Amino acid sequence: MITVNDIHVTFGRGTPLEKHALRGVDLTIPEGQFVTVIGSNGAGKSTFLGSLAGDVIAEQGSISIDGIDVTRWATPKRAGLVARVFQDPMVGSCTALTIEENMALAASRGRKRGLGLALGHDRRHHFRDRIAELGLGLENRLHDRMGLLSGGQRQAVSLLMATLSGSKILLLDEHTAALDPGTAEFVLGLTRRIVQENGLTTLMVTHSMRQALDYGDRTVMLHEGRIVLDVSGEERAGLDVPHLLALFARQRGGEDITDDSLLIG
Amino acid sequence: MSEIAFFGAVEIGLVYALVALGVYLSFRVLDFPDLTVDGSFPLGAAVAATLLVAGVNPWLASIAAALAGSVAGLVTATLNVRFKILHLLASILTMIALFSVNLRVMGRPNVALLMQDTVLTPFYGLGLPDHVVRPLVVLLVVVVVVLLLARFLASEFGLAMRATGVNARMARAQGVQTDFHIYTGMALSNGLCGLAGALFAQTNGFADVTTGIGTIVVGLAAVIVGETVLPARAMLWALVGCVVGSILYRLAVQLALSADVIGLQASDLNLVTALLVAVALILPRVRLKKAGAAR
Repeated sequence: MITVNDIHVTFGRGTPLEKHALRGVDLTIPEGQFVTVIGSNGAGKSTFLGSLAGDVIAEQGSISIDGIDVTRWATPKRAGLVARVFQDPMVGSCTALTIEENMALAASRGRKRGLGLALGHDRRHHFRDRIAELGLGLENRLHDRMGLLSGGQRQAVSLLMATLSGSKILLLDEHTAALDPGTAEFVLGLTRRIVQENGLTTLMVTHSMRQALDYGDRTVMLHEGRIVLDVSGEERAGLDVPHLLALFARQRGGEDITDDSLLIG
Repeated sequence: MSEIAFFGAVEIGLVYALVALGVYLSFRVLDFPDLTVDGSFPLGAAVAATLLVAGVNPWLASIAAALAGSVAGLVTATLNVRFKILHLLASILTMIALFSVNLRVMGRPNVALLMQDTVLTPFYGLGLPDHVVRPLVVLLVVVVVVLLLARFLASEFGLAMRATGVNARMARAQGVQTDFHIYTGMALSNGLCGLAGALFAQTNGFADVTTGIGTIVVGLAAVIVGETVLPARAMLWALVGCVVGSILYRLAVQLALSADVIGLQASDLNLVTALLVAVALILPRVRLKKAGAAR
């Protein structure tokens, strides 16, 4: 359960480049809901996700996760509650460390890290079983460096890593944007499966309206730092990409949509 | 090269192996280019020598030297993490400050250890020649340090420290308090350099405020030579590589200095060191280029 209450974020306050990125976002996401977030470039999608993860601290408003007020918490502290998969596979994993070392890092998310071995016998065994579930044959490559994997494999492992510590919230920041269409399809399918199996409360930022409607059970559109559209249930089931575009255009006062990236997919 | 010169080179190589391990921690594990080393090494020597002259137990004096080095590392880390000063500059500030601190600690530019008991004293009477005993004792210390360090880096805490150096953003997203790991790593790194300084003072019989100059280059040279000779991926072997690199580097320098044909003098040491490191840094690039051209 995530409750976001009227959060504001401004970058470069007091400089000529001041940008009011979030202007009062309110959103309540019940446990287990899968929300897709769309919006044009600069709409505040990534800032919103960042403010949930702790990368960006909201200057006004409050954020609570599972009833705990985390508004002032920095990223490492929130990590125990929130798992994340980044757009760039290079950002989301340690390329110079092995696959199992990456998994060990993720498995201790939100726990105190002591002087016990990071990779004991039991843990290795457990990781082997878990990574075999991906069906990518990676169970025999646990000692390989993460950097040797393809982008798709790395995102798949990142998704798996998100489930290792038992946190209940998953933030996906355009996690398939850097992949080719076939691989993106595979990773999205995997995302759906992992979210369902673990009953995760999920927020997925995407550039594609198609993906936004095909996956999850609620869609939120951001524009200029505000939520301008929030659909779920039957209303959403009846929506198609052209409808969504029309709704979006109406929100903007009949203005035509010129942002190509919004139309892709 | 005479037998004594050979053991001498191995001995000094082993002492600087501790510096190499420290440099490996800062430069390689944390990705923190740290020049504090040039100050924390003579700081260790100064603290150990002063305490020995005051009659303190040699092992306690050595531990105190290591702790002093750690504090120096913490100062650099604080300047960088807390006050956002560029890491290189932060470490130079600490290094410069330590020059004065070292003079204060000793009260004069150098301290001689003539009659004082050192960690080596108990081992001198065991029948082996002194020039063999010294490297053996230092080797013992180095082996213990390598094993402890390898185990540390394989722990959950150590793994988080490695992740901090490789990808701090990802580490934070995995709940790693990256700042804390930088503090710890820098304290550990400079603590090793302080310990190296303490052993240097005890094996050579003096502490001098100028011994620190170029320590970082020597440490880096050892790390690079080690990586070239032992390109290992396993952590333990990477650490062993630092030790081997340090000894090989000293032997190479000794060889260069003792070959009369080249006409080098002991005072050319720093020039030779800088040239060796430059060559070691340039070689891999040239090799890469050649490989690229061949394709």
